[in-house]
Amino acid sequence: MNRFNAIFERDLRKFIRNPLVVAMSLLMPIIYLVILGNSFQGELKNLPLAVVDLDGGPYAIRVMELLRSLEAGPKTLKVQRVSDQGFAMSGLRQGVFKAVLVIPPDFSRDVSRGARSELGLFLDNAETISANSVQGAVLRALPELTRKYVSVREQRRTYLRDIEIYRKIDYDQTLIPGVVIMAIFLGAMTTGAFNMVMDRFLGVEESYFLTPLTKRDIVMGLVASGLLITTILALIVLFLSSLISGIYLWQMLSLEGLLLIIAVIILSTLGLQGLMFIIMGRINHPRIVGVLGGFLNVIFFFPSGAIYPIESFPAWLKAFAKVNPETYSVHALRALLFKGAGLSAVDVDMIFLSIFAVIAIALGTIAFKRAL
Amino acid sequence: MAAIETVELVKKYGGLTALAGVSLSIPEGDFFGLLGPNGAGKTTLIRILTTLIRPTSGLSKVAGFDVVKDKAKVRSVIGVVPQAMTSDLDLTGFEIMDIYARFYGMPKKERRDRTDELLSMVGLRDRAGDLVATYSGGMRRRLEIARGLVHKPEILILDEPTIGLDPQSRHVVWELLEKFRSTDKLTILLTTHYMEEAEELCDHVGIMDYGKIVALDTVEGLKKQIPQKDIVELTISNFDMNRAAGWVKTLHFVTSCAINADTLIVSAEGGAKAIPELVDGLKKMGANLTKVTLKQQTLEDVFIHFTGRPIREEEAKKVSFLLGAGVPTKWGR
Repeated sequence: MNRFNAIFERDLRKFIRNPLVVAMSLLMPIIYLVILGNSFQGELKNLPLAVVDLDGGPYAIRVMELLRSLEAGPKTLKVQRVSDQGFAMSGLRQGVFKAVLVIPPDFSRDVSRGARSELGLFLDNAETISANSVQGAVLRALPELTRKYVSVREQRRTYLRDIEIYRKIDYDQTLIPGVVIMAIFLGAMTTGAFNMVMDRFLGVEESYFLTPLTKRDIVMGLVASGLLITTILALIVLFLSSLISGIYLWQMLSLEGLLLIIAVIILSTLGLQGLMFIIMGRINHPRIVGVLGGFLNVIFFFPSGAIYPIESFPAWLKAFAKVNPETYSVHALRALLFKGAGLSAVDVDMIFLSIFAVIAIALGTIAFKRAL
Repeated sequence: MAAIETVELVKKYGGLTALAGVSLSIPEGDFFGLLGPNGAGKTTLIRILTTLIRPTSGLSKVAGFDVVKDKAKVRSVIGVVPQAMTSDLDLTGFEIMDIYARFYGMPKKERRDRTDELLSMVGLRDRAGDLVATYSGGMRRRLEIARGLVHKPEILILDEPTIGLDPQSRHVVWELLEKFRSTDKLTILLTTHYMEEAEELCDHVGIMDYGKIVALDTVEGLKKQIPQKDIVELTISNFDMNRAAGWVKTLHFVTSCAINADTLIVSAEGGAKAIPELVDGLKKMGANLTKVTLKQQTLEDVFIHFTGRPIREEEAKKVSFLLGAGVPTKWGR
């Protein structure tokens, strides 16, 4: 126990003597929140739409009015009238417009006769997300006309009104579990196993191996110090990122919820610390850790459901998400933070994370090489 | 009982033989110096004795414990100062001493007393609260010697402890080793490249080359084993050189005498003592001596005699083409 404590204390002392690292470990996940929250927005806005009116009749004016109201209201579209269809199409190709709506000649006549009338919607398929948004917005804007036999030349959809079953959550708030997981990942990456790689790189480990320290003393000491540091970092990141996105945790969380959140953070950290020991067990150069760090962060973070729902993944990625510990952490944190859930809602996550942590740390200890 | 004993110790790395059968016995309380050119296998031997690597074959015991079967016991009775500087730069001298003392399970009071005592002895007590990063090379070395002794080991093993130090720090390290040896009744094993270090400190010296011990004795004993003796050079201005050489050769302590222009090169046992007799004799014959120099036989002569002159071409360390130095040594080899 004495030996384990000595290693534990050594790491904490070394960590607090690097205030720059402490500051960066806190700041980086929060900057992620700000950047991600503002670059992947829930609904797109101000998508430029060109309208070519070849009709000029009363129903064409009605279409324009409906589009204008959409522009003024949810601001999804930015409508611009263009007289020449060729000009509008070249603008679409150059990316000036995200879509072009063509109102054909005789449109008003066909509508008033009750004949089948069509509007042409040309979409920039290279940008799927904005194309889908424009299409959706136009379909929603013209319900009145569609009832009067105007069919947009696109697949028909039934319009569902969103019913949100939990309290209103902004998109950057939904990112909070992901940001906390990122803080945990960064913590696990820069403490624990990384200290071992640095000791090896600097040749300091030799003098530790000369003492009666066992493999277990070393790995457990490193994991424990990394766990304490990472847990504190993750909790601070959780608190700050909630404040930034306008949530007051002290109003939302019960004591049980808070304790469960801490438990999820601890289990996630242990699992990732163990994983790092498995991966870095025999690495002796920090450069490799740098390369691996960026890679591992992406492959664990994006398929975790922190940004896009897992349900929309292809089957192979879904399979990976199933064994990715970050998936369970994100799921549990989301349930605890936003749904006020108790233990019963996150028990599967907790069990998975516990098993993962135990196996990872056991394998990590085996992978550790206590020899030169 | 021998403090350190090895029998036919062999260590191979792939095709490279680092140790080719080393048998050695170092008695308790001895100050043993291990000399050898780069790549002779000194560090490999030290690392086997300190349980860092496994020998390929052979037996070795440290303080009576087998270094393969009884690693934990060996580790608790030896203090080691590795060749590289191995103290954490982000910790203070005091913290390093305290943390290492805890590795050996020492209780708090004992730790404090021992740390205080050792840091005073190595002259770092006033700097104990400073980060090691602020220490000079000599200070780090002294700290590491103190660290190696924190648990009162029976045997202290040092791998080139004065490499890269200035002469002042080197002398300080020598004084420290002498001091600790007498106060702690240590057995000391030290490897070095510096002949004067071995001559000054060691009771016994072993010379290693190509993974083997090629000579082992006291410093004086080793000097007697080699043919070349002390050399006295006498420069004479006005005399028949052949006559002078003829007389010199008749003296009993002279082993050979050569002529180089107006200089006699005399190889003699106990060169310093031979000078008065040589000078008196030549003067009586009427020779006018203008210069006398004495080249005393050193351990370096012994070393060169046993290991030869050629510089060792060390096996180039293999580094992975794909990953540079950043791969596990096992895969990189």
